[in-house]
Amino acid sequence: MITRRLVALPAVVLAASVLIFLLPRLAGVDAVRAVLRSRVAEAEPDPMAAARVAAELGLDRPLPEQFLRWFWHVLTGDLGLSYATRTPVAPQLASALGVSAVLAVLALVLAAVIGIPAGVHAARRPRGLVDRIVTVTSVLGVAVPEFILAPVLVLLLAVAIPLLPALGWGSPAQAVLPALTLAAFPAALAAQLTRAETADVLSRPHVVLARAKGLAAGAVLWRHGARLALTAVASLSGLFFAGLLSGAVVVEVVFAVPGLGRLLYDAVIGQDLPMVQAGLLAVVVIAVLAALAAEMLQLALDPVARAAAQR
Amino acid sequence: MIAVLALLAACGRGGGGEGGTPVPDGELRIAAQFSPRSGYAIDTDDAYILTQLGATEALTAASADGQVRPALAESWSQIDPLTWRFVLRSGVTFHDGTPLTPAAVVTALGYVAGVAAPPRALRGLGLAAVEDGADAVRIATAHPDPILPLRMSSPNAVILAPSAYAGGAPSVIGTGTGPMRLTAVEGTQQAVLERFDGYWGGRPALARVSATFVDDPSARALALRAGDVDIAQGLPESTLLEFSAGSGFDDQTVAAPRTVSLLMNQSAAPFDDARIRQAVTRAVDRTALAEQALAGSAVPASELFGPAVAWGAQGPAPAPDVAGARALLTEAGHGPDNPLRVRLWTYQNRPELPTLATAVQAMLREAGIDAEIQIGEYGTQEPEVLAGRYDMFLLSRSYLTDVPDAGATLRSDYTCDGSYNINHYCSAAFDSLVGTLDTTTDVAARQDVFRAAASMLVDDAVGVPLVHSLENGVSHNVVGYTLDPMTKQLVTPQLAVTG
Repeated sequence: MITRRLVALPAVVLAASVLIFLLPRLAGVDAVRAVLRSRVAEAEPDPMAAARVAAELGLDRPLPEQFLRWFWHVLTGDLGLSYATRTPVAPQLASALGVSAVLAVLALVLAAVIGIPAGVHAARRPRGLVDRIVTVTSVLGVAVPEFILAPVLVLLLAVAIPLLPALGWGSPAQAVLPALTLAAFPAALAAQLTRAETADVLSRPHVVLARAKGLAAGAVLWRHGARLALTAVASLSGLFFAGLLSGAVVVEVVFAVPGLGRLLYDAVIGQDLPMVQAGLLAVVVIAVLAALAAEMLQLALDPVARAAAQR
Repeated sequence: MIAVLALLAACGRGGGGEGGTPVPDGELRIAAQFSPRSGYAIDTDDAYILTQLGATEALTAASADGQVRPALAESWSQIDPLTWRFVLRSGVTFHDGTPLTPAAVVTALGYVAGVAAPPRALRGLGLAAVEDGADAVRIATAHPDPILPLRMSSPNAVILAPSAYAGGAPSVIGTGTGPMRLTAVEGTQQAVLERFDGYWGGRPALARVSATFVDDPSARALALRAGDVDIAQGLPESTLLEFSAGSGFDDQTVAAPRTVSLLMNQSAAPFDDARIRQAVTRAVDRTALAEQALAGSAVPASELFGPAVAWGAQGPAPAPDVAGARALLTEAGHGPDNPLRVRLWTYQNRPELPTLATAVQAMLREAGIDAEIQIGEYGTQEPEVLAGRYDMFLLSRSYLTDVPDAGATLRSDYTCDGSYNINHYCSAAFDSLVGTLDTTTDVAARQDVFRAAASMLVDDAVGVPLVHSLENGVSHNVVGYTLDPMTKQLVTPQLAVTG
C-alpha cells in the first residue's frame, strides 16, 4: 500500500502544480497590475510601466508557455524570483519553512506532553473530577480560536505577569507563547482521543484479567491502556504537522513570527504569484509526505492495521 | 475575560511617558505598522521605511506645509525652465565611509529614473542628472517642472553610496547617509540600525534602533503594554483610551493626507445629472460618519483636502439637508413612484470602507435613494470604475503623492485626460486652473490653486469627500518623538529613550 502511495506521489504533485498555477489566473488576478501595486501603493494605471514589467517577468507570454517554463524551473529546483522583492523565492521559503517546522514540532511536543497524560488520567475514573476538568478544558481548547487565545495568553503571561515577550522570534522565550497557542487545539484533541481510547481499552477482557491477576494499577493503565491509545494519537500528529506548518497564519501574524504562514499571508496580500505558487506547492508536498509518514507510523505501532494492510 | 485581563494589565504598568532624562546610548524598539513588501527596494514604497528609520536621506526635505528645505543639498537654483542646479552639502559621508560626491548623486538618480516602473514622484519626468563641477549636479527634466526641488525630497529619490549599485537591485545595508546605519534586516520581520557617528547633522542620541514589523494592530498595542517596544504605530481606536493622558504613555494623533470619498460616475445616468449628485451630497451626514460609524477614528470632510495640509479645509463639514436632497431628486424626476436605484461599490482592503458603505446606504435611503452595496476586490473593480461601468464607488485615497504638493493628484484624478479620473469629471475651467500649476513655482501661489480647485470640485459636486483619516502613534519612555503625517520621519538625531 505504501508503495502504491509513493508511485502516486508525482501525479498528485503534478495535478496540484497545475491547479496552483492556474487558480490565481482563473480568479482574474492581473499579475502585472498586482506587481505594480505591491511595489507602489495606489499606483495609477500606467500602460508603459505595465508593458515593461510584463516583458521583464515574462508575463506577456502565452499561458501554456508560462506554465511549462515555471514547471521546468521548479523541477530543476529553481522556484523563481519573487515579484515583490525581485529576490530568489527558494531561500525565503526555506527560511520560513524552518521557522514553521520548529514551531510545529514544539507545538506537537507540547500537545503530546499536555494532552496524552491528561487523557490517560481522565480515563482512570470516567466521570470523576479529573475527567470532568479534562473534558471541559479540552472542549475549550477545541472551541476557542487562535485569534482569541493568542491575545489572552499575551495579556496573561506578557502584560499582567511579565514572564515572556509578547512578540518576535529568535530566542527560546519568544517561541513559548506561539507554541502554546498552537498546541491548544492538538492538545485538546489528543486528550479527548487518549481518554476515549484508554477508557475503551481498560474495559476489555485482557485488561480486566491483568487487573484480576494483581498487576499494579499504574502498569495496567500505561502498559495496556495508554499504549494502544498512543497509536491513534501518533497517526493524528502526522496530519497535524502539515496543518501546523502552513496553517499557523494567525499565530505567526499576531506574534510577528517569520514562518511559512506569514510568508504566504504576505504573498497573497501582495499577490506575489511566484511566492504563493512555491509556498503552496511546498505545503502540498509536505502534506502528502506527512500523511504517508503518519500511515507508516500507524502500521509500525498497530499490528491489526499492519495485518489489514498486508491482506 | 480579555477586558478583565486588560484592566489587570493596566494596573501593572504606567509611569514615565513623555519627559524624563534621556539615556545616553539608548536602544529604541519600534512596533512598526507597515512591513517591507518589496525587500527594501528603493524604487518602491519600502523606501519610506528607510527614511522613517533614519537610514537614508535625499537632496532635499519637505515639511507638511509644502516648504522645501536643504538636506544633502545645501542650496539649489533654476538655471532654465528644464534645468535645476543643486549644490551638495560638504562633509557628508555615506555609511560605508565614502564621501558624497556629484558622481554618487548621478548614479543614484540615474538608477531610480531608469527602473521599469518609476516611482510616483519621478514618473514621466524624463529625469536626467549630470555632474556640475566638484560639488554640484544639474538635474534636467523633459518638461518644465516647477516643483523639482520638492520632488527631490521623495523617499524614492534618496542617495545611496555608489557601492549600493554594484550589481542587481541596490543594497540598502550600510549605504545610506542618515543618522542611523542599517546593519541587518530579517525578511519582513525586523530591521536593526546602529548609530552613525559620522553623521553630518551631529551625533545621534540613540545607539541602536530595532523595528519589528507587526501587521496586527492589537498585537502592536499588546507589545507596547508588555514593555516589549517603546513606540507603537497605528493602534486600534478601541485601545487608545488606555494610552491616553495620565496612563504613563504619550499618545499622538494627527490627520493624514487621505480622504475617503463617495465617487459618482458622471459619464452615465443617473450621476451625469448635477442635481442628483447634489442630492447625494446633501443626504450624507459626514459628522455622523466620522464620529459614530467610525467611532472618532476619522474627521468629517468638507472638501478634498483636510487638516493634514496647510491649504486644507479647517472648518466644520456641512450639515446634512435631507429635505433639500429629496427636493432635488423630485426636480430630477425621482420620487416614491420612480425611486432612484443605484449600485454602491467598495472593497475591504481598508476595513473602514464596508462600515462607511453601510452607513451611507442608510443615509441615502432616508433621502429616497436605494443603494445596493457590492463589496469586492479592488484589483478587479479598478478596470470597471476607470471604464465608467459603475454608479457609486467608495474610495480611500491619499491626496499627496510622496511630496506635499497636490498637483499630481488633481491632474490624475480630476482633469479630462487624468489617468485616474474615476468620477469621469471633465471641465475646461478646472483643467485650465490646474494647468497654471505647470508654471507656478511659488509655494503659496500653488496652494492658492489647490484651494480654488477643491472649491470648484465642491461646486460641481464631483464626488462627496466623506472623512479624512487619522494616524496615531504611542510612545513610552521616549523623548523627541513627533508623529509625522507624511510618514517620512520618525528616527531623528534628537530622539532618545529615558530611564
